[in-house]
Amino acid sequence: MIATVGYFEPWWIQIIKAIVIFAVGLQLVPVVLLAERKLLGRFQSRYGPNRVGPYGAMQPLADILKLLTKEQFRPTTSIGFLFALAPIISILTAVAAFAIIPFGNTQDIFGTKVGLYGIDVSIGPLYVFAFGGVAFYGIMLGGWSSGSKYSFLGAMRGAAQLISYEVSQGLALVGVVITAQTLSLTGIVTAQKGMWYVVPQLFGFLIFLVASFAETNRAPFDLTEADAELVGGYNTEFGGGRFASYYFAEYLNVIVVSGIVTTVFLGGWLLPFGIHPPGWVDPFVVLFKMSLITFLFIWVRATLPRLRYDQLMSFGWKVLLPLATLNTLITAIVVVATH
Amino acid sequence: MSAVLFFIAAIGAITGAVGVVVLRNPFYSVLALVGHLVSLSVLFLLLRAEFVAAVQVVVYAGAVMVLYVFVVAYVGGEGERIGERLHGTASGTGAALRLGGAVLGGAVLVELLIALLGTGLEAVDSYGAGYSPGPRTYGTPAYIGKLLLTRFLLAFEVASFLLLIAAVGAVVLARRRGGLGEEDPDADRFTPLDLLRPPGSGTTAEGVGRRTG
Repeated sequence: MIATVGYFEPWWIQIIKAIVIFAVGLQLVPVVLLAERKLLGRFQSRYGPNRVGPYGAMQPLADILKLLTKEQFRPTTSIGFLFALAPIISILTAVAAFAIIPFGNTQDIFGTKVGLYGIDVSIGPLYVFAFGGVAFYGIMLGGWSSGSKYSFLGAMRGAAQLISYEVSQGLALVGVVITAQTLSLTGIVTAQKGMWYVVPQLFGFLIFLVASFAETNRAPFDLTEADAELVGGYNTEFGGGRFASYYFAEYLNVIVVSGIVTTVFLGGWLLPFGIHPPGWVDPFVVLFKMSLITFLFIWVRATLPRLRYDQLMSFGWKVLLPLATLNTLITAIVVVATH
Repeated sequence: MSAVLFFIAAIGAITGAVGVVVLRNPFYSVLALVGHLVSLSVLFLLLRAEFVAAVQVVVYAGAVMVLYVFVVAYVGGEGERIGERLHGTASGTGAALRLGGAVLGGAVLVELLIALLGTGLEAVDSYGAGYSPGPRTYGTPAYIGKLLLTRFLLAFEVASFLLLIAAVGAVVLARRRGGLGEEDPDADRFTPLDLLRPPGSGTTAEGVGRRTG
């Protein structure tokens, strides 16, 4: 049931796991980046990047090299230390949230029991929300310290958007937690052995997905950077490595949210119809499901137009929040009635 | 390891708390408060109170302080005025403010001393709760949830009722101000386009609450 290891893994395994998580996260971001640009090209009847390497596969490498070798500059109106600190906060919280996603159950690797996740905390999803809350300061401080109107407006929108949709996102997960009766993410996965929660918690799944689009500042909720109105939003004044940090954090957040959806609603490493592959297949199952959700993110971005700001607010508070509350209430009643 | 973490977090908490009072720019004061709250949550983690630590960050750093930052960023630059009022140059209220602040500060100090001398000092020589993984041990969500719904049910409900009253009060106060549409001379203008356009088609006129045809 609840993973047998946790705090009792040897210290060297925890260090190796930290390095592996950071490396995997670092590798996934360029892949998602390339996939997004290629797919957006296809959605819009064009080729997408196809010059660097075979099929344009080296494009992210070229992008990263370009960004990292650019000159670091900042506007004279900006506030120096906050301007440098803000991208660091963004990237730090994104990587920290990635640590919680379980890629498999406890495995025996060379006689040592290793959980295929960074940590399995007893507070589960609350850990993600805690880092999500801190991630807000990355956007807010970045926009505020730039000393530019566009950045400031983007940051303010980001602030209002994040606190509005965080509530619905959290409430959508409460339904799952009530059904699984545990907060541990590995516990939630093993509780889905009979049926993935996407079926009994369909409304929770949809609400969580929509709220996640807003939380990760992705289209159609990308009002923080709305390039038609705000040039680039909160990161208008950022260039070079700092812009790369923001970009990295945004895509890592998409990956983390895909991981949470996979874990909480799509059965994590479990396969349907009782198929039981050997343990080393588990991470690939999780990665496959995550890539499906990431594809959905890109698909939605290519399909839907951006909302207007007041539409975003009234949708969050007047539609999504009541639905999420109702979902939690009905789930609680059903669980109590069937016990 | 835990001793090192404790001193980092404790120094962070004290620095943050001092910063809130000392810093002149209200924006930096709020940031110092955020630093203080995050350091506190690290202290909670060291006390095996994982749930309280997470809630501390989610609720205070992630929601309450976000609103503070939001407001201060909009109305920023008021720092000098607060200083003027305290030193009594703007009006005659400086002395009264300083006296009131001293009285309130003294009251908080007495209350903290009662709490510290009453319970806190007993625990100084002992260690915290031992760590044992499992769903129903000290500091986990299950344990706290059970306490909230059994032993502290009344206090829990009274506190939530208080928050509800505050929220309703805030809505009532906010409603008193006029909306965008009332003083707008164009509010009642009706063009043939409005007939052609179905309601809810997302125009800017709809966004500011004008009639939608």
